[in-house]
Amino acid sequence: MSLLKPFVLALPLVLGSLSALAESWPIPDWSSRGAPASPALAALEAYAFPPRDEAGRTGVRTDALLVVHDGEIVYERYAAPTHAATAHLTWSMAKSLLATTLGVAYGQGRFRLDQPVAEFYPPFAAHPQVKVGHLLNWASGLDWQEDYEYAPLKSSVVAMLYTRGRADMAAFTAQHPAAVAPGARFRYSSGDSNVLAAALRGMVGEAAYADYPWTALFDPLGIDSAVWERDGAGTFVGSSYAYMTARDLARVGLLMQRDGRWGEQQLLPKAWVAFNRTPFANYLPVAGKPHEPVPGGHWWLNAAVAGAAKPWPDAPVESFAALGHWGQGLYVLPREKLVIVRYADDRDGSFQHNQLLKLVQAAFAGEVQP
Amino acid sequence: MIRRRPWLSLLLLALLVLAALGWHNRVHLQAFPDIVSAYSAKEYCSCRYVSDQPADYCRAYVTQYVPLSDLQDDAAGKRVSASALGRTHLAQWRDQRSGCVLVSEQ
Repeated sequence: MSLLKPFVLALPLVLGSLSALAESWPIPDWSSRGAPASPALAALEAYAFPPRDEAGRTGVRTDALLVVHDGEIVYERYAAPTHAATAHLTWSMAKSLLATTLGVAYGQGRFRLDQPVAEFYPPFAAHPQVKVGHLLNWASGLDWQEDYEYAPLKSSVVAMLYTRGRADMAAFTAQHPAAVAPGARFRYSSGDSNVLAAALRGMVGEAAYADYPWTALFDPLGIDSAVWERDGAGTFVGSSYAYMTARDLARVGLLMQRDGRWGEQQLLPKAWVAFNRTPFANYLPVAGKPHEPVPGGHWWLNAAVAGAAKPWPDAPVESFAALGHWGQGLYVLPREKLVIVRYADDRDGSFQHNQLLKLVQAAFAGEVQP
Repeated sequence: MIRRRPWLSLLLLALLVLAALGWHNRVHLQAFPDIVSAYSAKEYCSCRYVSDQPADYCRAYVTQYVPLSDLQDDAAGKRVSASALGRTHLAQWRDQRSGCVLVSEQ
């Protein structure tokens, strides 16, 4: 009996490993199972990879499309010169990568959502009421102009990235006056994201900061292609400038699909992922823009809020995504066990998230289940 | 004056409004000519030395409505300088993890 005891004690551990083994994980590398040709797959390819307009840069211009089903690659295609080893710019998908990095710090007890940002980033003493959670909901209340191309003169984000803010993007953001009380309204702001990136330094300490995204997130996930550019002050440009291959970005998607678990390790607390996937409480859908995704905790949600329909009618309501300028997307459909990475160079508005998700589901998840 | 020279008066008024708008937006206007060259230097540098894309692809990738007057790609030093609207900006590749950054020194 006493001989058996260690085995009995070890049993849950063994069973735990078995369930992790039964799942497919890209540890160390992705496994692939090719999907057979089908009309649904042909329709997806026709949508994502039409003849590419290089002269006028119009239409859908996909650089990479990767579909993972239940931990295995079922589809992968690139448009030259982008290829499987290209570390592609994520643009604003970096914001969700920052949130996921912060999730590890959250699990280590480095901060709480209701702590003032100023505790970690002293220049925010000018905005003492702004909490970490407000920034993650893009609800700092600061008077920020996010327009990129239509109002370049007064765009806060263009000034931050390229002119007046580039030496220290968080400090540039902190100089903006408050327009409304923190938490009162959603206003998409790359400045909020870069203040979070600066606050991370205060959370983990100067010595750990430079490597933190790697030690906390990229290394445990086996991501080896990541580049994260800094501003003039050495702060990660959390809003915009992370790069990695499509296969590596899909690792982050799989982590999120499986509620923050990587193999046997709960890398992100489940409560953190739940926060990422909770709509910002005071979000009001924009009139006349029914397809705008709903802000969660630095991730985008296909949630039906405030009486509005879900933004992507043909995707499940629990779908969520990291999204970036010019068509970048990392979509997670947890129930369908789908992770989709799309890198692109879309210069007009013709690409539709809903259409892509509809076609991917038709090709890889059996029937479309809206 | 207004009755004798209505068009001149209107023109003066328009100039006055423009000057007021310009003064009101002076911070934005001063930085505006820097955008195209700074954007091009930074994004070309990252396209070439972070994403490792071909030079001709990156050249097309950063093309905007406002043309560049010059683009210098120093492949040995991984430094890119771009000029437009009378302003020049420089981006420098740092290392494997931190990619490119705009630098002020020429």
